[in-house]
Order: sequence, then structure tokens, then C-alpha cells
Amino acid sequence: MKEKFTSLWQRLFGDSVRAFGVVSLIFLASLAIAPAKNFFSEWRHYQHGYLRMVRNRSDANTLQRHFQGGIQQIWLPELGVVDRCTSCHVGLKEASLTDVPTQPFRTHPVIPHKLDQFGCTVCHRGQGAATTVAEAHNSTLAWEQPILPAKYIESSCGECHRGPLPGTPQLNQGRNLLARQGCAHCHTVKLPDGTTMKATDDPPSLSHVADKTTREWIYAWLKDPQAYASTSTMPNFKLTDDDARDMSAFLIANSTPLPGDTATLSARPSSDPAAGASLYGESFCASCHAVQNAAGNMVGGDVGPELTRGGNKVKPEWLQAWLRNPRNYDPRTGMPHYRFNDPQIATLSGFLLAKTDSDLLANVHLEAATPEQIAHGKRLVSDYGCASCHEIAGIKKPENFAPELSHIGSKPVTQLIFLPGMPHTLPDYIAGKIKQPRTFSPGLKMPQYAFTPAQIDSLTTALLALNDRSNTLPPSLAVATTPESDYQPAGKAGKLMTDLACFSCHRINGHGGDMAPDLTWEGSSVQREWLVQFFKNPGTLRPSLIRRMPRFNLNDAEVNELTDYIMTVYQTPAIDRDSMPLSGYSQGQVELGKQLFYGKYSCQGCHIVDTKTDKGYIGPTLTHVGSRLTAAWIYQWMKNPQSLRPGTAEPNRGMSDDEARALTAFLISQKGGARQEAAKK
Amino acid sequence: MAKTVDQYLDDLRGTRVWRSIFRSGTGSSTLKRALAIQQNVFLHLFSTKVRTRMLSFSATWYLGTLTLGTFLILVATGIPLMFYYHPSVPQAYADTKDLQFVVSSGLFLRNLHRWSAHAMVFLVFAHMFKVFYRGAYRTPREFNWVIGVILLLMTLLLSYTGYLLPWDQLAYWAITVGSNIASAVPVMGEKIHFLLLGGNAVNANALLRFYVLHCMILPLAAMFFVAIHFWRIRKDGGLYSHDSEPAALRANVATDAAPAKEAQ
Repeated sequence: MKEKFTSLWQRLFGDSVRAFGVVSLIFLASLAIAPAKNFFSEWRHYQHGYLRMVRNRSDANTLQRHFQGGIQQIWLPELGVVDRCTSCHVGLKEASLTDVPTQPFRTHPVIPHKLDQFGCTVCHRGQGAATTVAEAHNSTLAWEQPILPAKYIESSCGECHRGPLPGTPQLNQGRNLLARQGCAHCHTVKLPDGTTMKATDDPPSLSHVADKTTREWIYAWLKDPQAYASTSTMPNFKLTDDDARDMSAFLIANSTPLPGDTATLSARPSSDPAAGASLYGESFCASCHAVQNAAGNMVGGDVGPELTRGGNKVKPEWLQAWLRNPRNYDPRTGMPHYRFNDPQIATLSGFLLAKTDSDLLANVHLEAATPEQIAHGKRLVSDYGCASCHEIAGIKKPENFAPELSHIGSKPVTQLIFLPGMPHTLPDYIAGKIKQPRTFSPGLKMPQYAFTPAQIDSLTTALLALNDRSNTLPPSLAVATTPESDYQPAGKAGKLMTDLACFSCHRINGHGGDMAPDLTWEGSSVQREWLVQFFKNPGTLRPSLIRRMPRFNLNDAEVNELTDYIMTVYQTPAIDRDSMPLSGYSQGQVELGKQLFYGKYSCQGCHIVDTKTDKGYIGPTLTHVGSRLTAAWIYQWMKNPQSLRPGTAEPNRGMSDDEARALTAFLISQKGGARQEAAKK
Repeated sequence: MAKTVDQYLDDLRGTRVWRSIFRSGTGSSTLKRALAIQQNVFLHLFSTKVRTRMLSFSATWYLGTLTLGTFLILVATGIPLMFYYHPSVPQAYADTKDLQFVVSSGLFLRNLHRWSAHAMVFLVFAHMFKVFYRGAYRTPREFNWVIGVILLLMTLLLSYTGYLLPWDQLAYWAITVGSNIASAVPVMGEKIHFLLLGGNAVNANALLRFYVLHCMILPLAAMFFVAIHFWRIRKDGGLYSHDSEPAALRANVATDAAPAKEAQ
């Protein structure tokens, strides 16, 4: 063996010339590695594959002409993007390649942006500079941001678009959930536009909770909030029986009575279910409150709390006081102050109290609380951060109770602690944390939420959008959202509007809900007489809607106060309300308007003027429009609806002045005449 | 063949241009050869005479020369790498990726630099072990041993500073850990840490500092000490061999080694 080796050594390195030759050859071979590696690179392989695939297609010539060999890159200095993805993904811009089953040669789905303007990694993440699959798609020792799974892709839209977008339902829902589920109570979320996310749920104050409910209910609620109401936003803290017992003891002991809250029953709760149901319906309680029906479906809105088992919760005295004037117990409540009379309160409270579930509190038996239990309960209430959401007398709202989430979408994976068997990616971590927060380590305080998988994906999407890029975006690229204004109407009418909680549903000057129409320019839009009648007896404009304006039982003075204020203050500068007459249009003009309505513009596709023939249900019914809207408003609406209500579904048809005037004449003549005349006769 | 090459070379050495540069002229006499060494600014660091025996592989395993070779490769590859590299955040990482993915043979260049760096550290250690176990560090070569230790430190510092330059996760955390070790020094640890990084954390300042150290200060210092190292080899009596030691010392070694022989 040794001799063989020595003879080989002699043959190769025996004299200087041989040694020089051999070493040179080795050196040459090793130098050849570099060009060889370049020649056999992955992107070349894919480009050859693309050309092979294209060759047999009918549009081969076009595709071959478009093809550019070599390394391709999209360079966007403003965004810090150097994306070479198009070196392998050659067919992204070829519209005809939709029939290719998978990437890298498939065309890119249609999106509102150009690839050349945004590159690839802005949306998909991954490492754009790389030209090998492993480095570009996966995380490596040196690069920890892999390709974003497609189901979270909308998060990238949220980096620039700070408001809701029509094309990103998942992101919109996620952002909504972040605010509505109260995440922002414990977690600080500084948004890229410099504001701080505000929670939009309104957890009730617990300072007077003993007026409202019993300790048994609090115990059952603490143990499992979703058992009481499946739509509850209160999470499950997984308390032991003893902890729930002590916390309920503390909350009851800590509660102070509020004057007027448990006034003696003015009337026995009525047990007439038919009258109750009809008052519940007339008052449109279901616009905000949901009740689970026998089939298990939720019926009603999600603005107020679910009432399926409300009878188990509230004390009858409290409920009656609440129905009389909710603002007494909670001055900030979104519930309107209906002017119910005593029999109505009796009927409605009887109806609501009958909504019980005999199983809910059946097994709850609590002994009278000891001082030690109350003290322990207080410690638990403060440990679990209950005061982050609820106002609790004697316990301060904790600061920085939970980790800040302002940059969670760029959190380095190296700083995360994963569960065994979990994929080591940021989206999986976030989703896992939302799904089962307590499993990550013992002693974590984050409670268990009852999110569906789709909601978890939405939340993850919204959180991934809170990343470094969204915080360092060039201002020119940020698409700002209009922030909620803190508009508050003034004077007596303003007080009245607060009392009626108009802003729970209506939006005025950028403040308020989106359930009902924006009233910012209502004074220019409607006729005074109609508004007065509408307050007294709210009818419906859109028959397809379930949620409607409730009747608040206002007296004449209140109606006049509100009407005067709305007519005077809520006017658009674009229209002079009185510039066009409400009647006196020539018959010819009305006829022309009618022809345009049914002929050229086919308005009956969405609207109803003649209830016998028209079938339009998308827009409001126009049978009474002549006694509702002002002529000036109708005219401007015909000319440019978006100028009056940005985002309205009504198309801008580009009418001439004459056409608009004729249609106005036709519409203003629709005063619900047929029925009125019939009534007169 | 070989002869003709030699003839050509002799002709070349006879030209006027050659003579103007290398004034000692041609010839294979001992004097001419000695002059060739002495009159060249680079070669004068070396001994004018080396025993043939010392040029055999077994004498030194060529470890010092190989170390110099890797150092030269590192300089040669490091300069083109500098053409492509900005020591700024986050451009540094992007530049490394450009080298890796789009610069022609950039990956080869980078890997050659990297492997040579690894090889150099290995060879320096091997060289020191060889010197140590052969006893070549003893008088009169103890000063050159000290220079060698300084060169070891230089090599390690060059490796360490070069590690940060790719500005990837690996680099960032390695330097974070490494610099935190420095801050464990009693009393002045935090100051050293701050001085090293130009701040309290690894950031753009640290990157710039490490870049200047890696590409300017440390290579120049290393060259300086390498020059002294080579010069001292000549001054200390050429490459070490047993009979190059002073007689008195040789006797000591003999008595030291004697018990071992007896044991056999």
C-alpha cells in the first residue's frame, strides 16, 4: 500500500516539471468550477424549461419574442426592492399562460398593481435578491423571512392601504376583529400613521354590577362566557372553580349601588309574549341585538349584546330602569333612549326576562363569601388584568399589560419560542398564539378566545400587516384612511342626539356608525315636512332591508328641535336647497323625464316608481320621492351622485342639464299621489 | 526543453532593462546569488543561503509558506470583493447577495476568500504547533515566536472582523455574542465593548469599524509583522535545524532528550 502510494507520488510530483504540471491542472480544474456553477445555475435551468414548454404552444412566436434571457430583476430603490424572481418566473406577465397549471411559468393573477412598480417581495416576502429556489423561498441561516403563505397575502395590501379595501375582505375583517374583540385593550398597537388603535368594543363598567346581575351569573359567566352567549367577545380565562368563586365574590362586594338604577318596579313584567315580540320588532331591537333561534342561527345585529339568555343575567328592576333610560346606568352606551311608557316597559321587560336557559345557572351554588375569598378575588382580578377592559372601582387600568403589537409582522423568528412540532414561521406562530395562547408556556395570562379558523386567519393577516415596511413606507405610497372624527353636535339638539344614540347607526361629519345613511348633508337632501313625519312614524325607504329606523316615541317639541337643527346645520355647500321649485314643472318636462327614466337610463332596474310594473330593489323606492327629497338635491344627484355621497352605488350617467332637469321634474312629481288621492276619495 | 527555457531566461537576464532593475546581473556564482538576494528590496528579508535539506517537505511541512500563500490569496480576492461591497446598512447584505447571485464568478470569489481564511487560521495553528514541538521557538528565536503569536492574534482578528461584513443573521449574532464576551472583562469590559462596536449594540457603526479594521488596519499591521517575522528568520540564523543551534544549547537538548532514549 505504502509503496503504491510512494510510486504514485513519484509519478506526479517526482520532479519539479511534473509537480508544476499537476498543480497547474488542479488549479485550472478548480478555476473551472466558477463558470460551471454559473452555467448550471437554477435560473438557467428554468429558463430552458420555459423555452421548451413554449415551443409547442400556438402562441410560441409571441412568447419567444417577449422572452428575455439572463438574470432579470425589478429594482425599486424607493422600496428597497431588488427582485430577481422574474429570472425563473418567466411567464408572469404573459396573459396567455393562465392554462399553465403551476408556477414558475404561470401568469400572475390579475391585480390592481403593475409588477414593475411593486416587484414581488413587497407582497410575497421571501428573498428577492436570490436566484436559487431555496434561498429565495425559504428561510435560511442568513435570511429568516420566507415566502408568505398565499392565505395571508392580503396582509401585504395592508402595508400601504391603511383603510378597508373592497378587494381584501380578510384583511378588513382581521382589522375589524382586532378592534372589536378588544385586543387593543391589553396590547398597544401603534398604527403606521402614528395613531394608536382604539378598541371599538365597549366592555361594561363593573363598578355597579351588583345592581344589574347576580353573583351566580357572574360565576357562570367567568367560567365560560360562551356558554351564556356564543357571540360574546369576553374570552375564557380558564379559571378554576375556586378562582371564579372568589372573583365573583369580589366583584359583588366591590359594587356600589347607583341611585335610580333599581327603582321599584313601576309595573309587573308582563307575560304577554305576543305583545312583547311585536314591541321588540317595532322598536327594531334586532338591528343591534341578536337572539339565537330554535335552529341555532343568530337573528339580529351584533352591535349590542346577545339576548338569547338575557333573563338569566339581569335583575328585573335593573332591566326596567335600563329600558326607561339606559344612560342612567351607562352614560356612554350606544343604546338609544327610547321614550317607552310604563306599559311598554312592562311588556318589553317581561318579553326579555322570559329569555332564559334553565341549565345555565342550575349547578351554581355559592356559599356566602368570606373576607379572605374577597381579598383573593381582588388579587385575581388585578392579576388577570380585568381592569384593562372593564372599569372596576378601586383597581387601576394596568399599563403595558401585554406585549406591544405595533411591529409584530416583522418580529424576528429567532426571538420566538415555538411549540414542539410547529412550523418555525411567523404566521404559524401568530396563528398558534391566537388559537391557543395558554399552551405556549404555563403562567401565560392571555385568555382563550372563541375564534373560528377563518377569524384566526383574518387576525393573523391583519397582524402581519403591522410590520417594518408599513412603518417605514415612503409617505407617497401610503394610502391613508380617513380617521374617525370626534364630531359632536352642539346645543339642545346635540344633547338629544346623544340621548337617542343617533351615532350608533348614522354617520355625521366623519363620526358614527355605518348601519344607517350618512346624515352630513341631510338638511339639503330632504323636505322638512317629510322629516317631521319620519321622526313620528319612521317608514322604510328600502324594502329589502331588515334593519330600520326605530320609533323613539319623541314628543312634538323634540321632533321640532331635531328637525330644525338638521335642516339648518346639515347642509352641503354644493346645493342651494331652495334653488329649484318643488312643483310647477311643465307636463312636457315630466313626460320627457318619464321617458328617460324608463327608456334611456332604465332606472326601473334598481328603483320602483310604479309599484305595479317596476321591480327594482337595489335602490330606494321612489314612489314618494317627490314629497321626500328637494328638487335641487335630485338635480345634483342626477348630475353627479358621487359628489353628494362618495362611494354610492348610483352610477354617474353623465346626463346633460336638460335631461337632469326633466328627470327631476318627473321624480318630484312622484308624491305618492295614487295612494293619497285614493285616501282623499 | 528545460534547457532552452533556461537559455531564454539567461538571455532575458542579460537585457538592459533587466539589468537596470536587478543590478547584480546574471551568474550562478555564490557571490552573484548572494547579491541577487541582498540587492532586492523584497528578497533581502530572506537568507542569502539556505541549506537544501531545509527546503525538503519534512523540514517545515511548508506551513509558514502555505500560510503566506493563503494570506496572498486573501489579499488578491479581498480587493475585488471590496469593489462590490458597501459597508453600510442594509446595503452590505444586498451586496453579498449580489456577489452570490449575479456577479460573474462572485460566489467563487467569495468562497475562495472564505475558505482561504479558514485555511489560514488552520495553517497558522499548525505552523505554531510544528515550531513548538520542534523547539524552534528557543533562543535565539524567542522574539520571532512572540512576533508569531502577534500574527496569530492578527489572523484571528481578521477572521472575526470579516465575519460581520456579510451582515446576515449569522454575522450579526456571532458578533453580538463575541462582543459581549469582551464586555465580560473586569472593570473596563463595557468600555471595550463600546469601543469595539462604536455603540452599545451591533449596528451601522460596528459594521464600519469592522470594515476599516478588516480591510485597512489589520492587513497593513499583518504585513508589517510578517515582514519582521521573515527578516528575523534570517537574523536568527535561518530556518531552524538542530545543528543551527548554539553548541551550549545543543548540549542541553541532548541531555534533555537522553532519558527518553533510555526508556526506549
